[in-house]
Amino acid sequence: MTQDPPVPETMAEDDVIELLLRQHALIRDLFDQVEQASAEERPEAFTRLVRMLAVHETAEEETVHPYARKKIDGGDGVVDDRLAEENQAKQLLEDLDKNGPDAPDFLERLLLLRAAVTAHARSEERYEFTQLRAQTTAAERRALAAGVKAAEAMAPTHPHPGIESATKNVLVGTPVAMMDRIRDVVHRAMDQHNG
Amino acid sequence: MTFNPLHERGIPLDKQLRNWRELDVAPVDPDHSDPYTRCRIIAMNGIEVEAIMFSHQLARHCPSVELKQQLARVRYIEAQQQKAVNWLLPGLASVLETTIAYEQVAVDLTAWVARMEPDPYLKRAYQFGVLEDFDHLYRYANLYELIEHRKAEKIVDGLTEVMPGRPTYLHHRDPVDNVREPYDKSAAAPISKLHALTIMAAEQQTMNFYMNVGPTYMEPIARRLYQEIGLIEEEHVTHYESLVDPGETWWEMLLNHEYNECYLYHSFMETESDPKVKAIWELHLNMELEHLRLAAELFKKHDGRDPEQVLAPELPAPVTFEPNKAYLRELIATEIDYTTIGTGYVQDAHERFEKMQEAIMGGEPLPSEQVITDNRDKSGQEYRLETEGPHPVPSLRTDR
Repeated sequence: MTQDPPVPETMAEDDVIELLLRQHALIRDLFDQVEQASAEERPEAFTRLVRMLAVHETAEEETVHPYARKKIDGGDGVVDDRLAEENQAKQLLEDLDKNGPDAPDFLERLLLLRAAVTAHARSEERYEFTQLRAQTTAAERRALAAGVKAAEAMAPTHPHPGIESATKNVLVGTPVAMMDRIRDVVHRAMDQHNG
Repeated sequence: MTFNPLHERGIPLDKQLRNWRELDVAPVDPDHSDPYTRCRIIAMNGIEVEAIMFSHQLARHCPSVELKQQLARVRYIEAQQQKAVNWLLPGLASVLETTIAYEQVAVDLTAWVARMEPDPYLKRAYQFGVLEDFDHLYRYANLYELIEHRKAEKIVDGLTEVMPGRPTYLHHRDPVDNVREPYDKSAAAPISKLHALTIMAAEQQTMNFYMNVGPTYMEPIARRLYQEIGLIEEEHVTHYESLVDPGETWWEMLLNHEYNECYLYHSFMETESDPKVKAIWELHLNMELEHLRLAAELFKKHDGRDPEQVLAPELPAPVTFEPNKAYLRELIATEIDYTTIGTGYVQDAHERFEKMQEAIMGGEPLPSEQVITDNRDKSGQEYRLETEGPHPVPSLRTDR
């Protein structure tokens, strides 16, 4: 009955906010999948979630947050609040990743992470994206989408030929290590789009 | 076990006030809680809002300061109850997710009432109305996929199907045709009075909710869809409120309101799966027993009658949230092409109906159709959740 989630790297979304909303929905579904997975399937489902979170949060940090800081009324305050939420979620993610999906308190900690990530996403949607959409042109949002797409291409939720090798080099190690490498990818994509 | 709320002792009124800490209830989890727990919260909020607004209306017609003071004391407690109940909803849920839950309430609560209602004319009114809320669920589910990129099955959890009912554009009737005949207060079964009050209150809250949250959207299609369905909810309030006998005195109406609150808190206490929420239903039932006792005193004093004459001798079977899939499919197959005329129903699109349709459409695609087209364009297909096979009406199937 439940259909497969959309595959992000094939999404033809050109608006950065649409793209990020889609990722929010996808992340929630990935949490469901980890929770519902059997013990054997769980590590793989969890890896997909970790990669998607790393990609998503990093892309936001490098694209919409700096833009929102400049563009929206009270942007500094709004973005600082979002970064504080992200840092809290990152800490939970690091802990969860370090102990692995076999840890006895895994599901308990996963719920904490889920609550933090969902609250963060909802706050972005309400306090940041709404204003950002009102204060930007479609062209601006398209430019920002390039960075998000480049990052997203590295976090396949299904096996996807052609990007495995890129993924192998970038999405390894701890979530924080992944994020550092994703950051470079986002920068290169944005430079390319703008230059 | 029989339960007659008139014979039970509740919490004395001067012990009912809660402080801020006690009112600060923990919301339910939006992703893991029982969808029917959320339905009970939404339904009960509608009941409390009606209790508050009814008491305000009564007070505005009440010449005695002393009586107004007593109404004010009980009403303040009802207002606290409303806060404790509605604040069980999680802030994490989006407005649209809550909206979809509102429609799930409208579908499964009205279907249950239609199944249980003994009076054929009243039953027909619920059967007629439920097919419209059913369609609204389908429209909002498509809006949800369109703007939040998520599927409504995550919210309704497969308990309620999502597919076309009576298409929303056909709900725009001449207001004259929304008024029904009332039940006769001296002949109607007590359960019929409770049903009418419950569904009226639920639809009224839905109307209030849409009229207030609709303009908080930026997306033009969302703004327009809330406007369209919000107006239909007004028609539904007209439809259901006209079922209530206007010949009931104010004190009789108050008595019925308080009795209905006891009935619903008791029902929800009996059927609740979440222990924390169940504790609230139980606490509130014990408060309502006292509100009922006070209303019964007023009724005896001002109407000079015995409450047992107008109320049920014991609580009817508990109002239960449960899937109504087969029942709804049967109604869709038989009732979908009806509209109202005067206080009755017809299958033909009559002149007054046609005139209203023409005037309100203005020759443009209306939001409830647009949302399906838009979502089909964007998501590749419209959103449906047909768990029990293809749509019962061939012309409303996706492969038509």
